[in-house]
Order: sequence, then C-alpha cells, then structure tokens
Amino acid sequence: MLILKLLMAAILACSLAAPVSTPAAAQTKPVLTVYSYSGFTGKYGPGGKIKERFEAVCNCTLEWVATENSGALLGRLRLEGTGTKADVALGLDVNILAEARAAGLFTNHNQTTADLTMPAAWTDPVFLPFNHGHMAFIYDSNKLPIPPTSLKELVENPNGPRIVLQDPRTSQPGLSFLLWMRQVYGDKADEAWAKLKPRIVTFTKGWSEAYGLFQKGEADMVMSFTTSPAYHIGAEKKTNFKAASFAEGHYIYVETAAMLASTKQKELAHQFLTFMMTDAFQSAIPEGNWMYPVKTPAAGLPASFADLIKPAKSLAFTPDEVLAMRRALIEGWQNAISR
Amino acid sequence: MPASRTRSRLPHPGVIAAAGLISIMVAALVGLASAGGQIRGPAGSASGLLPSPYLQGVVRVAAWQAGLSTVLSLLLGTALALALTRRSAFPGRSLIMAVITAATVAPTIVIIFGVVTVFGRSGPVPVLASQMGLTLPAIYGLHGIVLAHVVMNTPLVARVMLGALAATPNEHGRLGQMLRFSSLDCFRHLDWPVIRREWPGLATFIFLLCFTSFAVVLSLGGGPANATLEVAIYQALRLDVDFSRAASIALFQIMLSLGIVLAFSLIGAGLPDTSGHMAARPRPDAGSRGLQAFDALMIGFAVLLIAPVVLSVLTGVGQLHSLANRQVLDAGITSMILAALAAIMAVTLALLLATAAESGPSGRSSPHRARLIDLAVLALLGLPPFALVTGLFVLLRGQVSLAGAGLVLVPLVNALMALPFVYRLIAPPLRQSTERHGRLAASLGLEGLARLRIVAWPVLKRPLAAALALSAALSMGDFGVIALFGGGDLVTLPYLMAERMGAYRIDEAGAVALLLVTTAVGLTFIADRA
Repeated sequence: MLILKLLMAAILACSLAAPVSTPAAAQTKPVLTVYSYSGFTGKYGPGGKIKERFEAVCNCTLEWVATENSGALLGRLRLEGTGTKADVALGLDVNILAEARAAGLFTNHNQTTADLTMPAAWTDPVFLPFNHGHMAFIYDSNKLPIPPTSLKELVENPNGPRIVLQDPRTSQPGLSFLLWMRQVYGDKADEAWAKLKPRIVTFTKGWSEAYGLFQKGEADMVMSFTTSPAYHIGAEKKTNFKAASFAEGHYIYVETAAMLASTKQKELAHQFLTFMMTDAFQSAIPEGNWMYPVKTPAAGLPASFADLIKPAKSLAFTPDEVLAMRRALIEGWQNAISR
Repeated sequence: MPASRTRSRLPHPGVIAAAGLISIMVAALVGLASAGGQIRGPAGSASGLLPSPYLQGVVRVAAWQAGLSTVLSLLLGTALALALTRRSAFPGRSLIMAVITAATVAPTIVIIFGVVTVFGRSGPVPVLASQMGLTLPAIYGLHGIVLAHVVMNTPLVARVMLGALAATPNEHGRLGQMLRFSSLDCFRHLDWPVIRREWPGLATFIFLLCFTSFAVVLSLGGGPANATLEVAIYQALRLDVDFSRAASIALFQIMLSLGIVLAFSLIGAGLPDTSGHMAARPRPDAGSRGLQAFDALMIGFAVLLIAPVVLSVLTGVGQLHSLANRQVLDAGITSMILAALAAIMAVTLALLLATAAESGPSGRSSPHRARLIDLAVLALLGLPPFALVTGLFVLLRGQVSLAGAGLVLVPLVNALMALPFVYRLIAPPLRQSTERHGRLAASLGLEGLARLRIVAWPVLKRPLAAALALSAALSMGDFGVIALFGGGDLVTLPYLMAERMGAYRIDEAGAVALLLVTTAVGLTFIADRA
C-alpha cells in the first residue's frame, strides 16, 4: 500500500498547489461555493448572469462548481459529507428529494414560499424551488400535423407516432415519464408500456441524446418539457416545434436548491437563497434554463413563452412516494419492455 | 560487488508499476465498498446479493452481443488487413487508415450520432435501400449495437493485423515466390499462422471492450433488454446512490473479465502484436485476379462502412464559426495538456510493465510474470472509469478538494483507460527484441536504460509514436472521467460538447465533434509517418 500512499501524497501536493493561482483580489472577499449542474453553469445557462448579479449585491465571490446532473450532484455531496466545500446545492430535482433529505446534509431555507407562482403550493422547509416546468412530448408540426391529444391516445394507437425516450435508470426526464405513466395508468402501467413499446425508438442515457436523435429525424416526438418550444422560438426563431398537450394532465418537474448544514458561510448562503427568490435571479431563468421561474418577474415572461401550452392538470407524486416505488416501477418497466 | 547486490534486491520499476496498478484497482473497490458502509442510504437501498437473476440475464445478453461484435470485427478487420497487405501501395492508403482509426478513438457519442446519421431513419443507407424497394429495420436493437461496435473495433483489428502481417520474416514471402505458391497456399502458409497467433489475444481485448460498453448499448440498444453490467453499475452509483452495490457489481465484472482473459489465454497465444509498421512486402499472390477483386471489395466495404460514420462530423462545418471563441480555445488547450499528460503516463507505464514482463528475476524472460502483468492490464477494462474515480475519491475525501484531485485523477485515470490499448502496441515488439537480442545484450552486460536505448529503441520507435498518438487521441475523446470533474478550470472539448448539447445547441456540439475528430485523424496520420 506504499504506492497508494505515495499516490495520495502526490495528489494532495497537487491539490494544495492548485488554489495558489486564485487572484489576490478574490481572496479578500468571502467566497460562496454553489454546486450545480453543467447545463446551468455553462455558457448558455443562466449561471453567468446570476453570478454577475449576485456579486453586484453581496460583496462576495460566487463560485460555481458543476456536476453532470442532479443525481451526480447528490452523489458527490454524499461522498464529500460534512467536509464538502459546497455552501449551497442548486439543481436537486423533485424526484430525488427523499434521498437528499435522508442524506441529512441540508438545513432549513427559512424563506417564505407562500407567494410562489407554481401550480401547487410548496411547503418544504429545506428544499427551495428555483424553476419548474412540465414534462411533454415535443414534435415538429411540419412533419406531424396532428399529434395525439392524450397519453392514452399515444399509448393505444398502434399507428401512432414513434417516440424517443430517456432511460429512467440514468436520466431525470426518463424517470419523470415513468412516473407520469404510473399516474395515468396506475397498476396497469406495465401493460401500457408493453402497448407503447413497438413505437419507442430507443431509450437514451440522458435528455440531450434523445433530443439530438429527435432533431436528426429519428423519431416523431421526444420526451422533453413544455418549455422546449420557447428555445426554438426565442433562440432559433422557429415556430414549428411544439409541445403536445395531453388531456390527462402533465407530470411536473421542479428543481430546488438547499443550504448545506455544514456551510461556514451561513449568512451568505442565506442571502443567496433570498436572492434566488428575487427578479434578478428569476428573470435569468426563462431564456437561460428554458424553464418557468417559480416567481414570475415583474416584467413578465419573455415573448418566447407566450404561446406555450398550459397543462390543465399538474400530476405529481411526493418525493417519499417516488422513493418507495421507484425500484418496483423500474423493475416493472424493465420486464414490460424486455418481454 | 555491493553495487550489483543492491540492484538485484531492488524490484524492477515495472514490478512496482504493476503493484501500483493493482493497488489502485483494489483501493478503488475498497473505497467504493467502504462508502456504502459509511453513508447510510435511504430505506430500500439494500445491497443485492450477487449475482442476482437480473445480473445473470444482463451477463448473458452482454456476452452474446460482445461475442457477435468480436467475431464480426475480427473477420472484417482481418480481411481488410490482408487486402491492405497485398495492395501495399495505393494512393491514400495511410489517409484511409487514419480516417477509419478515428472511429476507434473518437468520443463514443460522436460514433453513436455518426451511426445514426448514416444508418438512421433519414440517413443515406435506408433511403438508398428504400429506393431499391428494400425496407431496412430501424437501427435500434442488438444489430445497432453490433454495428457500432464493428465500426469502432474493425480499425483496431486491422491495425493490429497489419502490423503482425508486416512483421512476418521477409524470407517467408520469398520462399513462397520460389515455390510458386497459389493464393490458397499463401493464406495457409503465410497468413494463417499469423492469424492463429494474433486472434485469441485480440479477441479477448475486443470482447472485453464490447462486454463493458455503456453509451452505445444504452442509446442504440432500443431498450433495457440490451444491457451491460456497466449500466447496472452506473444505475447503482447515480440513481440509487448505493456505493456498496456499485462496488460489488464492479467486482463481479472484474472477476468475469479476468475469467474471460484466462479462458482465452488457454486457447493459446499471448498478447497480439500491434507494432503497426506498414512496410511493403513482396506478396507472391498479389497478381491473382480473384484476389484483386476480393481485396477491392473488402477495402471498399470496410471504408464505406466506417468512413461515412467518421466523416458524418463534417455536418458540423456550417457551425465552425461558433468555435472561434475564448472558451473553445481554453478547452482545446486544457484537452491537449490533459491528453499529453495521460499519453506520457500511459506510455511510461506500458513501457515499465512491458520491460518487467520481459526481465524475470534471473535476467531471463519469465512467462509467469508476463502473464500476470497481462492480466493486470486487461483487468483495467473490467473497472468502469466512473467507479474507479468514485472509489479513489472516497479514499481521498477530506484530504483534498475534488477540483484539486481532478487535476491529477483525470490524466491518471485516462492513462489507465488507455493502458490496455497502449500496452498492446509496446509489449509485442519489445518481446521480439528480447527474443532476438536478449542473450547478446546480457552477454555484453547491457542493463536498464542503456539496454532500452541500444537494444529496444530501434524496434520501439514507431510503436511508441503510435502509442503516444493513440493514447492522446483516446484521452482527448474521453467524457466518462471528465464528466465527474468538469466545470471550473477543467473544461475539455468533450465536456464542452456535452454542455452545448445539454443547452439545445446540437449544431455547435457538432462543430466541437468535428474539431475532435480532425485532431484524432491528424494525430494518427502523423504517428504513422514517424
């Protein structure tokens, strides 16, 4: 094990040397470290704008640390435990909140959630939502003039459109659709999967592969969000990509942030969560993360959001319900699709 | 003589490297397993006993898929290598090899999208087929996985076989010419012995690559019926956040991999020879009309199958302007630095291991030690990079920040991932040189670096160049490891590509893919001329 020790010593030495390059000016200000996912912190995500706006009011430095996705974010925090550098975690999706709570790493946000503009009241004392949307199938209206109008129609019409989905074992949207099927079909969900199976092109590892395959013309519809058309309208000036509105209602997708109990920047972290609920943060969401803000900014939503479908009903399980049935649901899905 | 006594007591640096390799793997597994014990998971995440019926099913499906992929890649790659050996001089030969080799080293996501672009619903192949009245099945399913694996591995097989065929002593060809060998005689007496020697080792390698495939199986598999253990490990790590389960499945996969390596090694043959010389050889059968047609067909088929998948990145040309920004430049530089570090580490490790395998305790080559080192190198294929990194991180947590650890772990793990490829390029020529000149060198008292420089260097020069290029290109294309550390200062080109895709910018991701593939082709092309 001598080699291992040497290796660790080398890694230790390198990591100690690394922070030396931080500019001197930054060291005088306190640093707030926020763990998020790469889509949020990347060039096209809202991370850059939010950093700029928060730093303008906090007299601090906001440091983003990116992980691959929501699951990776929680996994990493659990690995780092109380020794984590993170002060705030931003991007925990609603379906893993039960696990996140069980990890015991987070503390109460102490924010008021009574005035949120979300479909349902939010009362969680630890996890504070920052954006939301609904799952939906996206289609190209030039190629598919008449989309199905309900999940049942999609599942039961043997000549219906071909769809590309995400694998519920590796992707949050994939898991959300699994839950949506369960909401609509209950105990009969496995049979519904078997009926839908012939028209499923494939299940991809993540959202982007699925959306890429759809754009390459591999499928008529793709599992995504009701807000996806806003991207095509806002960034590409294309109006032919639309979300299919389903009569049963749409499964909700909420992303939350939480403060680490182990943070040494309690006040700053608290200030960030307060800031998260202001227009400065919320207005960066629609055309940055292509989701709905949880509190509509005073200036309203951008024009690209004007013509999006509004689900008549919002479907959801509680995080505890998701945790309790996830394993069984995935097994049932595996059997139904593999048969 | 005190000096020589000290020397004989110190273990060979390669033996230390091998011990290091094994302890890193063991440490990663121990780290993972201990994390599962320390972090109390939510109710219901009980670690399953191994192997569950589900995992047994996964193994069966994965073995069938990997077997098919291996057989087809071996057949096509060997046919291509034979054809290229007989047609040693036609214009564009090395460019063709460089282009198709990119299919082996490009990021998997690029190959997946390439396969879909060419063979997908609106791709040229199904469109052409439907014009001829044929309806091809959709690309998703077992056949899609196998197709992608054949595209990725055929160039590798072809390179290895080309090297091996070129390394046959010149006299054999001349003898064949004197005896007026027919094409069949040529195959039987010149080619078949080489094929027999190379196939078992090569088959093990390709089989393990396909058996542990991940993104290809998920994206092109069409559903959970097609799976590998790698998928189960990822699920345990990411969805269930159950580290001990991930560790136990990873251990199971390593055990299986070692079993496969041992089983294949019983069939005979050591490591395949990949000393990619593409020297021209006189072939007695080069003039045969039938073979000319066969060779043209084989080269044509392989190129038409693989090159379009690689060249599909040219669809990114329209977005090239999006590359002209600071972020892409920075990511390119980071990629190059990390790839260079990984390549140097991988080649150094491979060189150390290969020399250790060649020098037994008594100064002679030791088959036991060589086999053990082969096993250690191939066992790496059984350990998924994300499990390796997570395990190591568990051991390091509390002592270093993840960002700092990334600076070392990313190139280190990339080097370890490239090692099985690189070892394949370096070990066989070194073995040949030991067989030919080992005794002479020993009688002259040549040892250590001096021996490496005088005896091995002339034989190793080209394989080393090829190994550097291949490992650099592989590391450039890595997404599995960088995904765990990316962001902040460590943004590489594949990371940028994934980030663009995640933000709806698929065209921009295509431009980054074009840049990556061009670099890979360039690296291979230059290395072949070294």
